[in-house]
Amino acid sequence: MSAAHFLPDTNWEPTAEFWAGAAQGELRIPRCRECGTYNWYPPKTCHHCGSPQLRWEAVSGRGTLFSWAVVRHVFVKAFEEEVPYVTGLVALEEDPAVRIVTRIVDCLPEEVGADMRVEAVFRPLVFSGSEKSVVVPWFRPATV
Amino acid sequence: MTASTTPANPPDWGFPTEFEDLSGEVAIVGVGEADPSKASGRTTHAIAAQAVERAIADAGLRPEDVDGVIYSGGLGDQFDAAAFHAHFGTNHSLFASSEGGGMAWAATAPVVAARAIRERKASCLVNVFSVAWATQRANMVGGPGEFHAKQRFKANLEMPFGWFPQPVYFATIARRHMLEFGTKPEQLGAIAVSCRRHANLTPGAVMHDKKLTLEDYLSRPMLVDPLRVEDCCLISDGGGAYVMTSSERARDLAKPPIVVAGVGEGQSGSGSYWSQQRDFTATPQVFSAPGAFAMANLSPHDVDVLTLYDPFTIAALMQIEDMGFCAKGDGGAFVEGSALDFDGGVLPYNTHGGMLSHAYVLGIAHVVEVVRQLRGEAAAQVKDARVGVYGGYTGQHASTLVLRRDA
Ligand SMILES: [Zn+2]
Repeated sequence: MSAAHFLPDTNWEPTAEFWAGAAQGELRIPRCRECGTYNWYPPKTCHHCGSPQLRWEAVSGRGTLFSWAVVRHVFVKAFEEEVPYVTGLVALEEDPAVRIVTRIVDCLPEEVGADMRVEAVFRPLVFSGSEKSVVVPWFRPATV
Repeated sequence: MTASTTPANPPDWGFPTEFEDLSGEVAIVGVGEADPSKASGRTTHAIAAQAVERAIADAGLRPEDVDGVIYSGGLGDQFDAAAFHAHFGTNHSLFASSEGGGMAWAATAPVVAARAIRERKASCLVNVFSVAWATQRANMVGGPGEFHAKQRFKANLEMPFGWFPQPVYFATIARRHMLEFGTKPEQLGAIAVSCRRHANLTPGAVMHDKKLTLEDYLSRPMLVDPLRVEDCCLISDGGGAYVMTSSERARDLAKPPIVVAGVGEGQSGSGSYWSQQRDFTATPQVFSAPGAFAMANLSPHDVDVLTLYDPFTIAALMQIEDMGFCAKGDGGAFVEGSALDFDGGVLPYNTHGGMLSHAYVLGIAHVVEVVRQLRGEAAAQVKDARVGVYGGYTGQHASTLVLRRDA
């Protein structure tokens, strides 16, 4: 698989708003207008009450690290220059049941710890050999 | 033991498949394996044909006696009715179902067979599965990663962050299991070491000649921390098949019948999106195993030999917990040391080496192994094995097959 496989399709309707938010420095998650539940991954109807009234809302971008892996092997060529890197799941402050898959940046793998407080940081994802880039939400250790 | 198989508050992040009671209706009467290998240049059809030939011969039957073929509809170029006829030069009427094969379906194919026999659509059926992923990987096509890359939420919300492929998912799950329950590397290692020891005893196992001690395991570098290469399954060419008929007819055949005592299946509500499964450190065995044991009127305590679909050590550990062999979270302590060894372990496990050390043939060889154990024909034979279980697992699904030798 080439590097292009690892850039999101920002036009794909179910997640287009997530990527539009990231481009503006916002983490956006669909929230049910009937019952207030955050829904992730984006469903057609609320997984809690079944309502189709879902609206993308900006959230704080703060959360805690739920779990992570330190990738030390080059499984795919696109990430060859990245290893070792930390990838994992962040539980959102607004609702820890919402887990965002992300990368943990601005710290060493050894500094990453359980339930570490983290915050979103928006940076362009670029792979060498590809001209395209997409702004993505990575997370770093909380600064406040 | 019922306390751990039926919790007071059943979890609601998934659900079981309701099967009618088919306990004792069908028996496995023939098993066959294609030679497992690294990249061999063989096609899936050629591999499957070898397994089917051997399974039919093992049952003491002729190809014409088989009137049903069950294969995988989801995984590539499988051995369907046309392939059966093309290989054996037959043209008789063949019932065919694509609801079988390996993985979770290696456990549920007996449901397809029982229904076909009850409805008089077939009387003797073969379930078959094969892969040529080692060969295909050398050619950069197919393989397990390609399947997952096609799922669009993964492509859009996981792969850009390098959360891909499967070893990364399971490293993340293993880390969380360690955080929640205190599971240790040497406990995951114990699973890998037992499997290797069994493969060392099993002719044809891909890792037959390669020894692995716990010290070896712990000294290996991390592949994706906290998993090492030894925590991950092989990529192989291989396959297997098993022949089923009614328990009544089975009594007249060559080998002692191995009766299908119970079958279960469960599903995760989050599908194959591991990242979003509400109980992150569990498998749908939680929903599958209780029904299978209830149908069999047996409990985990009664199991003499267990084989589990084991893409990673942690996937086996979680299934052991979720099937009720120990309480949730106690899996690490349960598998420690030689607990899983065929000779004297508390739960003889993957006695052929599993997908870690025998071959990555997606569970079909696991069922073949359980049958051999219950017949007393296995290489690493468990003494007096009467009840054997196979647990299948795809992430989205889990399944449970309880087999029993009566005579
Ligand atoms: Zn709602």
